[in-house]
Formats: sequence, structure tokens, C-alpha cells
Amino acid sequence: MDAAVFERIVAFLGAIIVGVTASFQLKNEWKVHGLDAQVTKLLLGLMAFGCVLALLASVHFLGDHHV
Amino acid sequence: MATAVKSIELQAVEARYHDVDHVYGETRDIRLLGFVFFLLADCLLFSSFIFSYIYLRTSAPAWPPFLDGKQLPWFDTSFAAMNSIVLFGSGVTMHFALESWKNLNKRMFNMWLVATIVLGIGFLLGQAHEYSSVGITWQGTTMGASFFTLTGMHGLHVFIGVVYLIILGLQANRGVYTGSKYFGLTAGTLYWHFVDVIWVALFFLFYLW
Repeated sequence: MDAAVFERIVAFLGAIIVGVTASFQLKNEWKVHGLDAQVTKLLLGLMAFGCVLALLASVHFLGDHHV
Repeated sequence: MATAVKSIELQAVEARYHDVDHVYGETRDIRLLGFVFFLLADCLLFSSFIFSYIYLRTSAPAWPPFLDGKQLPWFDTSFAAMNSIVLFGSGVTMHFALESWKNLNKRMFNMWLVATIVLGIGFLLGQAHEYSSVGITWQGTTMGASFFTLTGMHGLHVFIGVVYLIILGLQANRGVYTGSKYFGLTAGTLYWHFVDVIWVALFFLFYLW
């Protein structure tokens, strides 16, 4: 198998697993109060967004001109 | 008078763990605010380099730029996507580690912390592989200079984070932190999430844009 295909498959599966887990962590953190909880929510949300970017990159929707 | 009245949160913590330290309870929020300001300052540092990169890129006649009459290659998106997931995964495991500590499950805390450290080292090795195969150097072009400066600075943060997490793990297992006093672990988790989020921006700017 081509290395790039393997990397995209790993990125695709990993993005789903990590993104869903981060989203659940964000959901659990949602009702928690305090500065640390608010910062954690923001950072978890952005991390989940990063997973979406990686997912879109793995299916050639983003960054395709780089190939 | 204000100190005589315990906050509801402090009472809840005291009832649960019986090892409450009033000084810790009163200074925790101040230290947390200081740490968040540190993260904001670090964010500004990255922002200044990121905006320099955006300016250089948008004002360049061609991107990737030409060097000696030959256009430089794009970065490897496939490998970067996989390596990004390794780093984002470490953010998830670090969150689990902190939650395990809050639930007084030291065994799971250690397991998740080790997983975080291993994934962090994995990301750094991935970056080292990327550097060795990227086909450009620091000198000669704005593309190479921006790439190595920003990703190098981020890699340094990840490396410091890995060392920080190792120290936190040692401290936690030596009894420095308790069920109610674990500010270091909270700060470590915030730092690690911050490093993840900075990579989201760099991943987009260098590999997807």
C-alpha cells in the first residue's frame, strides 16, 4: 500500500475517534463552572475543530493542491 | 468576615476529601488566572509569527516560492494529518488523565499520563521525520524560514510539555498532589491543550491553505 494512502486512512479513522471523544469530553465539561473549565471548553472545542480539519484533509477535501 | 464564610465549593471539597488547605483554596484562582495570562502571552508570541507568515505569503508573487528557478514543493499533507491526530489524541488522553485524578483513580491517571507522554514523543519523532524529508531548508526562502521557525517553536513547546508532564507524573506519584490539591495537573492539562490548539492553526496554515 502507498504510504500516503496508509497515512490518510490512519488520519481519517483517528480523526473520527479523537474528534468524537473530544466532543464528548466537551459535552461533559459544559456544565462545569470556573475559569479552568471555561478555558478547557474553548481548547477542547478548537481541538475538535482540528480533528474536522484532519478529517477533511484525509479525504482530499482540504489541502488537495498540496499533493 | 469574607474569610470566615467558606465558599460552597470549598465546603464540598472539604466534605469529600478531608484534606482541604484554606490557603490553597484561596490562592488557587489567582494562580490559575496567572497561568491563563501566561498562555495568552504565549498565544501572542505565536500570533506575531503567524501574522508575519500570512503577510509574507500573501505578498509573495508565487507560492510556494521559487529558488534557483525551481518552485519549491508543497508540504506533505497526508503525513501531517496523521501526525496531527497523534497530537490531538494526546490532548484527549491528557484530559482523561486529569479526570482520573479527580476521581481518585491513580492507576488510570498513570496510564493516561504515560499514553499522553508517548503520543507527545511520537509527534516529535514525526516532526523530526518531516524535517528530514521536507526538501527545503531554513535559509533561502520565506517559506522555509516561516515553516521551521513556527513549527520549531511549536516543537520546542511540545518538548517542554513532555518534560513538564514527566515531572508532573513523578510529583503525583510522590504525593505532591492530593484529591483536592492538584493545581499543577490542571495547569499541565491546560498547557497541553494549548499546544494542541496552536498546532490546529499551524496545520491549517502550512498544510491545508
